[in-house]
Amino acid sequence: MKKPLVIGSLILLILIIPPIRIYMESIMIIHMLIQLPLLIVVGWFIGEFLMDKAPRVFELLNDNGIPGIIVFVAITMFWMLPRTLDEALTFPLYELFKFISLPLVGILLVDSWRKIKVFGRVFIFLNYLSMFGLMGWLYLDSPIQICNNYLLAQQKILGWGFIFITALMVMYVLQYVFTDHSAEEDISE
Amino acid sequence: MNKNLRNVILICFSIVLSFFLFYFGTNGFQAFTAESARINRLMEEKPIFPDVTLEDSKERVYPFSEFKGKYAMLTFIYTSCTDVCPQLEMNLAEVYNQVPKELLGEEIVFLSVSFDPERDNPTTLEKYQYFFNSDGETWRMARINNQEELDSLLDEFGVIVIPDGEGGFTHNSAFYFVGRDGELLEVMDYKKTEAAADKVIDTLLNDMEG
Repeated sequence: MKKPLVIGSLILLILIIPPIRIYMESIMIIHMLIQLPLLIVVGWFIGEFLMDKAPRVFELLNDNGIPGIIVFVAITMFWMLPRTLDEALTFPLYELFKFISLPLVGILLVDSWRKIKVFGRVFIFLNYLSMFGLMGWLYLDSPIQICNNYLLAQQKILGWGFIFITALMVMYVLQYVFTDHSAEEDISE
Repeated sequence: MNKNLRNVILICFSIVLSFFLFYFGTNGFQAFTAESARINRLMEEKPIFPDVTLEDSKERVYPFSEFKGKYAMLTFIYTSCTDVCPQLEMNLAEVYNQVPKELLGEEIVFLSVSFDPERDNPTTLEKYQYFFNSDGETWRMARINNQEELDSLLDEFGVIVIPDGEGGFTHNSAFYFVGRDGELLEVMDYKKTEAAADKVIDTLLNDMEG
């Protein structure tokens, strides 16, 4: 089962290639809503590989999935601070931390997501729904430039990006709530 | 039991880890934007104004060390700017007007540095001065012709200037208060002119007594 490792490393490699990296980071919305999530996806793939290779480690460090999900929330929230995006462009150390911490978070997520129960998943999902909504509002409503490296117009686009994601998430919730899931539950239980 | 204990410890550990991430990432929950972080950092580093060559509105060319022995109050601007610079300069004028006349030029100089040397030639600067009653002596406006010198200064003082593609620039704004040896003393909020003026006058008077 080397396939996830190959896919994960390949995406990471593409993201690291300097012209691609610099281009992605030059546009605020791509930086935050494409590059950062892709780094988490990298971790997700690598995580699948590692879980297969060394299940004991995950059992030992992340038995019930809660430590992993806490670190996941903390690091993703950290990268949503307006400051961190800016600093990643200015300080190589921050940039390095970004390329390490986000894949790590992906590894933790794939493991934790399977371990936390439905209640935990709903909690995390709604937490991010409200957080994205808040970020959208923050970026749209701010009359001043929050990041030194990005223009006000880019900030607004990012704000709409967050609102769009929030809307998708709300739609997902609605369709989930109003469709019949009794058949699926029978299988999984 | 052993397993439960381990889980509890790991949960506590991850919470502590998260706390430290945010604590250090925001300088102790103080700086959530890079701009506030930048100012904190500048105050700690106290960079020295690099010895750049200025050309002012009276076409005089001299190095920054010309002001050695005097305090300096700086802003970074470009004259075609339509949004923040006029406000910034208007506020600098407010500070300027509060400083006792006898100290101006003797103990302190005001200096607006343009980071757009191509368009801000002495004639343009001369015109711009007029709007803010800057006399060109105790409050000078100058450009830095050498791009390398300009970049080193902007870099040293953490001024980020991005061309917006339509002939303008986006840039961060503040008052920079520089000491007698060109060392950066303080970066001040340009919207709080009263506080800035108090700080400048206090520093000058204390220094002259001491």
